[in-house]
Amino acid sequence: MQGVFAQVAVLGSSGVLLCGIILLWRRGVAAYITAFAWQSTVLAALTAAVGYFGADPQLYVVAALLFGIKAVAMPRLLRRVARRFAAGREPDPYVNTATSLVVSGLLVLLAYAAARPLEAIADVPTRAGMPLAMGLMFVSLFVIISRKMAITQVIGFLMLENAIALLAVLGTYGVPLIVELGVFLDALMGFLVMQIFLYDIHDTFSTVDVDVLTRLKH
Amino acid sequence: MLLTGLLVPWMLSAALSSVLRRSHRLAAWLTAAAGVASAASATRLWLNALRGEATVVGSGALFRVDGLSALIACCIAAVAGLAMLPGSGIEKSDAGPDGARRFRIFGSLFALAMLVAVTINNVALMWVAIEATTIVSALLIPLHRSKASIEASWKYILIGSVGIALAFAGTVLAYFDFVSLLGRRQDALNWTLLMHVAPSLHADVLRLAFVFLLVGYGTKAGLAPMHTWLPDAHSEAPAPLSAMMSGVLLAVAQYAIIRWKAVVDAAGGPAFTNQVLMALALVSIAIGALSLVRQQSYKRLLAYSSVEHSGLICLGLTFGPAGVFASLLHLLNHALAKSVSFLLAGRILARYRSADVERVSGLMRVMPGTGALFAAGLLALMGLPPFGLFVSEFLLFRAGFMSGHVVATSAALVLAGVGFVGLAGHLMQMLYGAAPDGVAKGERAWWGLAPLAVPLLAMVVMGLFLPGAVGRLLGRIVEAMSI
Repeated sequence: MQGVFAQVAVLGSSGVLLCGIILLWRRGVAAYITAFAWQSTVLAALTAAVGYFGADPQLYVVAALLFGIKAVAMPRLLRRVARRFAAGREPDPYVNTATSLVVSGLLVLLAYAAARPLEAIADVPTRAGMPLAMGLMFVSLFVIISRKMAITQVIGFLMLENAIALLAVLGTYGVPLIVELGVFLDALMGFLVMQIFLYDIHDTFSTVDVDVLTRLKH
Repeated sequence: MLLTGLLVPWMLSAALSSVLRRSHRLAAWLTAAAGVASAASATRLWLNALRGEATVVGSGALFRVDGLSALIACCIAAVAGLAMLPGSGIEKSDAGPDGARRFRIFGSLFALAMLVAVTINNVALMWVAIEATTIVSALLIPLHRSKASIEASWKYILIGSVGIALAFAGTVLAYFDFVSLLGRRQDALNWTLLMHVAPSLHADVLRLAFVFLLVGYGTKAGLAPMHTWLPDAHSEAPAPLSAMMSGVLLAVAQYAIIRWKAVVDAAGGPAFTNQVLMALALVSIAIGALSLVRQQSYKRLLAYSSVEHSGLICLGLTFGPAGVFASLLHLLNHALAKSVSFLLAGRILARYRSADVERVSGLMRVMPGTGALFAAGLLALMGLPPFGLFVSEFLLFRAGFMSGHVVATSAALVLAGVGFVGLAGHLMQMLYGAAPDGVAKGERAWWGLAPLAVPLLAMVVMGLFLPGAVGRLLGRIVEAMSI
């Protein structure tokens, strides 16, 4: 049973990380949104699985919230934003695709190095996935830094949140429920405010390319 | 009871401001009254903390107010109250009636979120509250919709949210350490419990967690190199919001850093946390001070001065107990000086219609009262006597030399000198000379200046001698943080 649990954990975490890396080789907002929706779905499924194997029914609630908010609601809102802006292909990012993939590989290696003290003390069967969660954190940060469209940066940020949720679920079978609810509330409000700003940027600058945001220097 | 008095007024004022659509004056005064009520409760909490008792409220010690909480809560309530006060803070003429109403609603929620952040015991819920401050304050930056303010708010919410997300990752790592050792507990993330069990936690995991926490909360505290959002957000925001963000939001982020540093230090000694904190602090002081020299906008000047002072506060935290004492005093003084300066900058901007130092001249002739107070605020920020920042900087540098950090302290001292020159040059340019054409002379709404003079007077008092109530409170905090 423990062996299956460990394998499910690693498989699920790899899936979540892979969806993040898709962002680096696909070019197009629609593909990004699909990748994010799939990532959230896999994360929700993994959370439910950890709830089942770890015998913690609270995680079913968390999994349902994850699926409802991040796999269904947010992708739908993002698609509406993308349609409204007619945002199609990403303008050339600051870093090209091949280099991006190499960088993300290095970042995952770095995550393995950084997560060594964690694996050393963990006794949960899910511990092998923790470096992957940390890898996704670094990859999401890289997406936010290297992409030019505001909407891509938002997706990168949402993936960063997923990465942290993954880390929590693997390391500690989730944070206490009251904290989890607070985090969901913040995530939802933060997303809605970011969405307002996306519309504001589009209406004022008539583009969502953050390259135009250079009025304020020094 | 006291905690209710601290938090509930802001809930009421947010609710009433959104209900009272028509009666602006009434809503304005009710919001200001909320500030007074909240500040009164904060003062009572301060007095309780002086007696050495932490006020604990709620099931499972949900809220806990000790000296550190009371100190920052007092600053928050006072500054937020000042920002809401008609005549001194938000004005209908600033942003139109709708803008002023929006400011009262979200400004109240902003104050509430900050107060919850410093009074809640659970460090993960503290994170939730601090993240909420980013969201509600970001909504207020584009109160005047302009390209610059929208750009500033985008940078603010994106960089702020990403940074704070990393702080949550750090919180999760610390929780992971706790769970691996003691199993899952609902109250595992209570700061008091964390402090209690810290000596048996794994120091290397907590160090990793601290890096994430410091980058995360450091972003909110305006520490370089994560400070890039700060000059934009603080300069583009309406003046009363800048006052709250620069004066107390930075202090809230520093509060989080102080709490976590205490936990990590209790687990593995302060050597590691001091090193990383000192590095970030010195970079911040350098970037803040050097940027002061070549700024063209007086609001950006104040913003970069915040980066510098934020760095000084963090630097003091690495200088042992005497340094922590100086840091906290610096934090209190900076909250007073910076918020008043921003509010006065708002008055200047409203008259001159330009944030350019070059286009603001003859301030002493155009607005004698505002000009004099603005000069006092800036002189205080430069660290000149008789203001409190002089004393706290002096204590800070002395603690640095006494604790053997000669190089770091000397570097900070030189950089503070550079910042001094930068600020002084710009201030002289603004105060004297001929007033530009088309700017009306004569002070308006004198009565609005009186409340702004109060914090400056308090700073003079703290510059001349350290009042017992302040000194004893800071002493108690230092004791509690260095177990």
